Amino acid sequence: MTISEKDIPFIALNGVSKTYRSGSERLPIFAGLDLSIGKGEFIAVMGPSGSGKSTLLNLLAGIDQADSGSIQIGGQRLDQMGEAARSAWRAQHMGIVFQFYNLLPMLTAAENVELPLLLKSISGRVRRERVSKVLDIVGLNGRGRQSPTKMSGGQQQRVGIARAIVADPTLLLCDEPTGDLDRKSADQVLAMLGFLNRELGKTIIMVTHDPEAAAQAGRTLHLDKGVFVEDEQVMA
Amino acid sequence: MISSIRQITSMSRATLLSLPRRLAISLSMVGSIMLVVCVLCGFLAMARGFEITLQSAGSPEVAVILGGGTREETNSEIPAEVARTIMAMSEGISVVRDSRGTPLLSNEVIVPVEYRDHPDAAGEMLALRGMDPTGPDIRREVILSSGKYASPGTREIVVGAQLAATYPGFGIGEDVRLGPVVWTVSGHFSAQGSAFESELWGDIDAVRAAFNRVGEVQSLRLRLTEPSAIKQLAMAVDPLAGAQLKVLSEADLYASQSQGTSRLIQLFGWPIALLMAIGATAGALNTMMSSLSDRTAEIATARALGFNRLSAFVATWLEALLLSAVGVGLGLVLSWLTLNGWQTSTLGANNAQMSFRLVVNGDVMATAALVGIAIGAIGGALPAIAAARVPLTVALRARG
Repeated sequence: MTISEKDIPFIALNGVSKTYRSGSERLPIFAGLDLSIGKGEFIAVMGPSGSGKSTLLNLLAGIDQADSGSIQIGGQRLDQMGEAARSAWRAQHMGIVFQFYNLLPMLTAAENVELPLLLKSISGRVRRERVSKVLDIVGLNGRGRQSPTKMSGGQQQRVGIARAIVADPTLLLCDEPTGDLDRKSADQVLAMLGFLNRELGKTIIMVTHDPEAAAQAGRTLHLDKGVFVEDEQVMA
Repeated sequence: MISSIRQITSMSRATLLSLPRRLAISLSMVGSIMLVVCVLCGFLAMARGFEITLQSAGSPEVAVILGGGTREETNSEIPAEVARTIMAMSEGISVVRDSRGTPLLSNEVIVPVEYRDHPDAAGEMLALRGMDPTGPDIRREVILSSGKYASPGTREIVVGAQLAATYPGFGIGEDVRLGPVVWTVSGHFSAQGSAFESELWGDIDAVRAAFNRVGEVQSLRLRLTEPSAIKQLAMAVDPLAGAQLKVLSEADLYASQSQGTSRLIQLFGWPIALLMAIGATAGALNTMMSSLSDRTAEIATARALGFNRLSAFVATWLEALLLSAVGVGLGLVLSWLTLNGWQTSTLGANNAQMSFRLVVNGDVMATAALVGIAIGAIGGALPAIAAARVPLTVALRARG
């Protein structure tokens, strides 16, 4: 029996606990959450509001910290890193796609896409080449100089995806990437994520409420009250 | 390091490009700093102008002897016999002589006199200086611009250029009532803008006679061959201890007079400017907090992408500094255009009006600029720290 790359956990959460405080009240989100995700998987995380989807994404992105437990991604313990190290790690290994695109409206589409590359020691010429290449991948070639404010929601999200992949991260975190889009634009974005997973081997974790979006993923995790109640694997 | 500079540059650029979204509140910060700079420039220019006017009147080569232990001409009194003794001693002192061999030494009195433009107008106190015929020659910076000096024994006066420019009644040949006596204007003089231009000069005997001061001498002025000769003069008059004489250079006399008034102007000016600066700092803080609130999602997004805290701090602080720099720039230009050279007057050391011009020079502008930039730096620091601490979880839920 051989062990494929997908069988080796790329992401491993062990006994992760997280509690928020609201005044004197404690709101437990996770109490000993375990999760294992292989490299190159496309995961959809579904669940009702308040189930912990966003908290999970924040913990995986390293922009929030667990109270206890370990979070390991690509062999690195994210929970043991300091704030600055997590920032640097995100810049190096992770792309994030936001529900509301989170593009900087005063910058052009190309300047938005270029932002993650400014964190790396690469020349302006190489940066411009890579921006042009990813804009081509997301179907926005020639639109780089356009302001995101003059683009449709679908186009803005494609700029967001281009920004997320321009630094060639191994992991893409998508927070409701189709939540603000019409069906047609949502399908285009989902097709693009599928392409990035299949053709470029990106590991994708996508939080969504949309069953059609989840259907694009190879595996769907259902969260409820901080617990995975279902782990649905789609057979290829 | 390079990455850090790139992050700062990129974040700063994005911040500055977003300024039009906050135009109104940004302009209010610029305006409040501009006002502080203008107020600061105003009173500093007043103090500086006053200093320059008085200090330029004083020459280190002119010795002034005052009696009665005072350093002020109006309170000074030199007994007539002491004045005569000093005049007799001038042979042994290094006093400059004119072409006829007369020592450049002048007995002087100064009388505050009331002047009215017309009978119903409020009276203004002006300084009438009585002097010997050698008086104008002692003051090298003085030029008779028109007319002639007062003839000995006559009720003629020559009028300083500042007074002649301020009051219309001092035309040459015009009769002017000063207190109870009518005088005829015989000429005008200029003195390179110094305090002398705010004086009226007449013959000492005529002045003393008109104001019941016959025989009185308030100061003795001597033009020395060199500034160091003042020590020789002080030693020479030392035996006349009963008159409590003070020997000082004209430069020192006016410097001490200017310091007092200049300090007074600053004493009133600085608290007003500082209060305004505190208000402007609060305004800057409010503006920058508003800016931070406007950019929270953008800052959090950049930080979520991997940008460091320093870039968020610098970009926010830079915006505050830039806005304050614009306020400072506008304030300085406005102050220079409207205040520099503006003529005003105040009560001088002789209880008489002294005209002077406001001077907005490099010192004044540097001080005002420093305070203006400090407002931005202090007002922007707290929001900049807050920008560096924006919770990143905001980014994932923010509507960008």
